[in-house]
Amino acid sequence: MRLALIGNPNSGKTTLYNALTGRTETVGNWSGVTVDRREHPVKTALAASAVPDLQGQDQLVTVDLPGAYSLSPYTSEEGVTADYVRQEQPDVIVNVVDSTNLSRGLFLTTQLLELGVPVVVALNKADAAARKGVRLDLSALQEALGCPAVEVSATNGSGLAELLATSVRAAGEPASSVPFAPSCPNPTNRAQAEEADRERFAFVDRVVADVEQRAVATHERGLGDAVDDVLTNRWLGLPIFVLVMFAVFQISQGEGPLGLGKILEGLLTGAADEFQAQVAEQLAGANPVLQAVLVDGVIGGVSAVLGFLPLVMVMYFLLALLEDCGYLARVAVVLDPLFKRVGLSGKSVIPFVITVGCAVPGIMSSRTIRDERERRTTALLASFMPCGAKIPVIALFAGAFFDDAGWVSTLMYFSGIALIFLGAWVVTRVTGHRGRRSFFVVELPEYKVPSVVGAFKSMCARGWAFVVKAATVILLCNMLIQLMQTFTWTLAVAPSADQSILASLAGPFAYLLIPIVGVCSWQLAAAAITGFIAKENVVGTLAVCFVGLQNLVDPEELALMEGAGAEVAGVLAITKVAALAYLMFVLYTPPCFAALGALRSELKSAKWFWGGVGLQLGTGYTVAYLVYTGGTLLTGGALDVPAALAGLAAVLCFAGTVAALAVRAGRKAAAQQVAAAAGESASDDPASSKPAAA
Amino acid sequence: MTLRQAAEGKQYRINQIGTNDAELNAFLSTLGCCEGQDIVVVAHRRSGCTVCLRDGRYSFDSKLAEAISVSMA
Repeated sequence: MRLALIGNPNSGKTTLYNALTGRTETVGNWSGVTVDRREHPVKTALAASAVPDLQGQDQLVTVDLPGAYSLSPYTSEEGVTADYVRQEQPDVIVNVVDSTNLSRGLFLTTQLLELGVPVVVALNKADAAARKGVRLDLSALQEALGCPAVEVSATNGSGLAELLATSVRAAGEPASSVPFAPSCPNPTNRAQAEEADRERFAFVDRVVADVEQRAVATHERGLGDAVDDVLTNRWLGLPIFVLVMFAVFQISQGEGPLGLGKILEGLLTGAADEFQAQVAEQLAGANPVLQAVLVDGVIGGVSAVLGFLPLVMVMYFLLALLEDCGYLARVAVVLDPLFKRVGLSGKSVIPFVITVGCAVPGIMSSRTIRDERERRTTALLASFMPCGAKIPVIALFAGAFFDDAGWVSTLMYFSGIALIFLGAWVVTRVTGHRGRRSFFVVELPEYKVPSVVGAFKSMCARGWAFVVKAATVILLCNMLIQLMQTFTWTLAVAPSADQSILASLAGPFAYLLIPIVGVCSWQLAAAAITGFIAKENVVGTLAVCFVGLQNLVDPEELALMEGAGAEVAGVLAITKVAALAYLMFVLYTPPCFAALGALRSELKSAKWFWGGVGLQLGTGYTVAYLVYTGGTLLTGGALDVPAALAGLAAVLCFAGTVAALAVRAGRKAAAQQVAAAAGESASDDPASSKPAAA
Repeated sequence: MTLRQAAEGKQYRINQIGTNDAELNAFLSTLGCCEGQDIVVVAHRRSGCTVCLRDGRYSFDSKLAEAISVSMA
């Protein structure tokens, strides 16, 4: 038996879904968190207690769907939900309505009641309604709508069993009656659809007047509005956002008493090193190749990545708190004027912030943006924000080259933001859309105290996914890298890693990196390439290639490592400036394959996708080149002039291509404007210039 | 007058939505922002305003606020 959860955005459908099924799907306090449908059976114990006589084969399955304000035709964004209801015919619709906003929620309810599927209204956030002094007459509501209604609170679990029992009962009965029918049931144009909406709202108003009593009218200013005045203040809004994000990065990745991530990391790294040493001791007499593969390839590589797990988990925890409290919608308001300058809007903020956790959901969340060009640009640029998988890479370079300085991580995030602005500006030029500004409307959800338990669960679920990835994809990659750098193409043990399969494969790419790191290192090239599979691989591969990350920079440490592996790959001496440039190259070139897959499916255009990948590659390379060349000149270092000139040629080639595309788009847009102006002057009839929708 | 000129905390009735964007109008309509509905500006900001529609709060940018004409309810 299928129970479909349908309701307005931010009415608590996913929180209810998690409470019913025991899942830990991402929840957030803004409109449009869920962008795709998912389903899972109801928890066995809950189903058994709610519906004791349920047969084993008749399992209760809950379906979570993206939020919808309406099922009316002429609205495009709720496609998934409307299609599901019309095509899949669930056994019962559980219409999740926010008890504190009945007058908007019941609009959709009246539409759902017309579908011929039994409906049960779940009046969610009953606890919040009680706090706000909203009282609902349940029996009057059931009578007015002609369907059962149950008060629930998904956050504290009250009313869940009753909701399930009522839903199962309703599923066995004929569909609910239709309490309201518009004068034009099948509108054929927008004007008729709007008239039907007005009639529907009038019906809802009558119902709400009968069933709802409010202690305070919603339009009166409350504490939330006072907080909004500060958080969205013209002068304070932006500094507060910068401060909040800085605190998130500082706590998760910074040093000092506030650097919770680093404190936890210290505990874990000690244990991992001890484990690696123990295994090395056990394998002391074994085949040196096997020893190297196991100790350096598997344990060394994976533990190098897992060592950074605390940093990533602390970050996930803080992001979950941020997503839960309602602040992100306010950030969208604060940044909207800034983003408008580069052809985006405040709607793009949420995808960018989610990408700080992971680019895949970040890119997917751009789906809620109505304007196609804005949506595609947002999805394309989201991966400039360093994601959780890039934290180990940043932390590795910050630790190895910059004495764990906090500014490295902060600089990477703020450079990412700068690149987003720059990238958005480039996209408006290349697509010829400059100057066009869209309207911006965003729902401001009520603030709530974020759930620490919820954030902890979210952190554990995402942390576990990180561990699983390290134990599968990363482990496999590290083993392959270890084997490839151990053997030659004739499958003999390579006398030195420079003659290995890996060196010959990555070698050609190493030449491309000379203008940004100053040396020809196949190891760095190999790490950048494996980074496309998963960004953590950069750390794993470097750990494998240099047998311990210390050797990346410190030649003195080599003496300590000699006993661990006879075929030590060597020591890489790159400058600090080169390290920073390489780090930026890894961070700002295209993300991992999973994120690229998500990007491809969101862009729905091969032209945009390949154009976007080209933009990311060009941007990453250009930034790295400028940082290395500029930094080396400023610090008085030695610059390899032929390599610098070759790099300059590549950068100019990229910039020239972008400029040529922008000029072409500009000419095309100008020609269109001229044609449009000619068309307008040709038709002098004032009626024809009226908007079509009027 | 437009929503941009509306006084804070007072109830107004929406006369016309002049965005020239039919899809946006349909979306606004589902929020309860259509001709004949009531609206209250909770706070004005330089870049827009916070409004109360039915029992929800929304932020409109100034361009949208200027496109909505209202009169005293």
